[in-house]
Amino acid sequence: MKNKKMVSIVLGIMCFALTLGIFIQIRTVSGTNTAVGQTYEENNLRAEVLRYKEKYDNRYQDLEKAEKELDKERQSSTKNNSELEQKESAITQGNKMIGMSDVTGPGVIITLSDSKAEVANALDPNSLLVHDGDVLSVINELKNAGAEAISINDQRLVPTSGITCGGNIIEINGEKVGAPFIIKAIGLPEQLAALERPGGYLERLKKDTVGAKLERKNSITILKYSGVITYKYAQNVE
Amino acid sequence: MKNDVKNGKITMTITIALACFILVFVMFMQFKIVNETDITAIETMRETELRTELANWKEKYDETEAKYQETIATIEEYKQTKQSNEATKELMETELEKVNMSLGKTDVEGEGIEVILRETENDEVSQINADDLIVIVNALKLAGAEAISINDERIINMSDIVNINIQNSYKIFIKVNGQRILAPYFIKAIGNQTYLESALLGNGGYVDQLQKQNQDVSIEKLNKVKIKKYNDEIKTKYIE
Repeated sequence: MKNKKMVSIVLGIMCFALTLGIFIQIRTVSGTNTAVGQTYEENNLRAEVLRYKEKYDNRYQDLEKAEKELDKERQSSTKNNSELEQKESAITQGNKMIGMSDVTGPGVIITLSDSKAEVANALDPNSLLVHDGDVLSVINELKNAGAEAISINDQRLVPTSGITCGGNIIEINGEKVGAPFIIKAIGLPEQLAALERPGGYLERLKKDTVGAKLERKNSITILKYSGVITYKYAQNVE
Repeated sequence: MKNDVKNGKITMTITIALACFILVFVMFMQFKIVNETDITAIETMRETELRTELANWKEKYDETEAKYQETIATIEEYKQTKQSNEATKELMETELEKVNMSLGKTDVEGEGIEVILRETENDEVSQINADDLIVIVNALKLAGAEAISINDERIINMSDIVNINIQNSYKIFIKVNGQRILAPYFIKAIGNQTYLESALLGNGGYVDQLQKQNQDVSIEKLNKVKIKKYNDEIKTKYIE
């Protein structure tokens, strides 16, 4: 008799848990559906966004092809003329420096990741996260240590790149990137590794138990900026 | 009788196992759905978000299209000028000028703003330091600044702004591009005046914050800002 009672209670609890699970499930599913709010207007907009995205992707591919062709054309035009060859190399070298072409070289890779420590144990839970300010500071220190090219999660830093905070993620070049942040920098590895020095910024981050790892590499490839730099207001003056 | 009890037990075990299995299954489904519900995904965006997203992509497309047409035109020109070294040289010079503009190797001018930060006499107000300038420069870039300089030190792609401690003093001075600069700091930026100003003054803007801390900061809108070129050679040794 006692046994039967026990079994009934266990079964009862099981059923309750099961029902609860199903309810949560149903609520999540219907919740996502209502958030979508499938109005006609929004659907139209959504389609339009996708259309432009595709148009952009296609044009961007065309542009990349054209840029390669231009490089080739420029090279063939300047053959056998040392003055023109010099100008040609100034253009290609310049494009590397402003982030408009891929570059390779020795350097360091820094990985910043949010802390794995318990939030409850922290005085300030904010200190456990990597913030846009931290990324800005690390980049500034890399530049100070002589970095020649930098990217964050493959977003290349160009002269007009800004970094902003957008909730759980940060935005670089208008693109959203999330933790962990992988910062690649090309330059003299020994010099760039100075960021690890006692009292340096990486050590300060580690004190907050934020993950900060620095690796030296003999060869790093940093991709070009996936956008265009245009000037609407500034003009060259003699 | 004994058999009956045994049978009952087995049924019970199977039932419970089944229930457990279903429960775990449902939980996994739940986790998967939650994982797939990406907040940044386009499917869950509201109308206003979609409109800004659309505007962003439109702008990106237009810029890429313009650049593509320009590149195609340049290729054509190279093909046509192949016979003449003079013409090719001219063409290369225009290309080089554009690259140099992005590098910061040319003087530029255009509409924009000037931010002026002055040292205050008040000892309770903290000294302006490199981090303040970094935040302002970053905010200006986000607001679409096309060229920036601090006390005529041009901010180029790899410019650094750092604090240097003065020995035996709690005071610091600031170095930009390795050059020492002194207060007052004049930050010049070329771009849309309204965007640039509101990025710093708007609610939560950094200049607004500094002013609330009694710092002496002001912004001037200018129809013509002239920004000097980077006054050194820009050398690279490691990138290939």
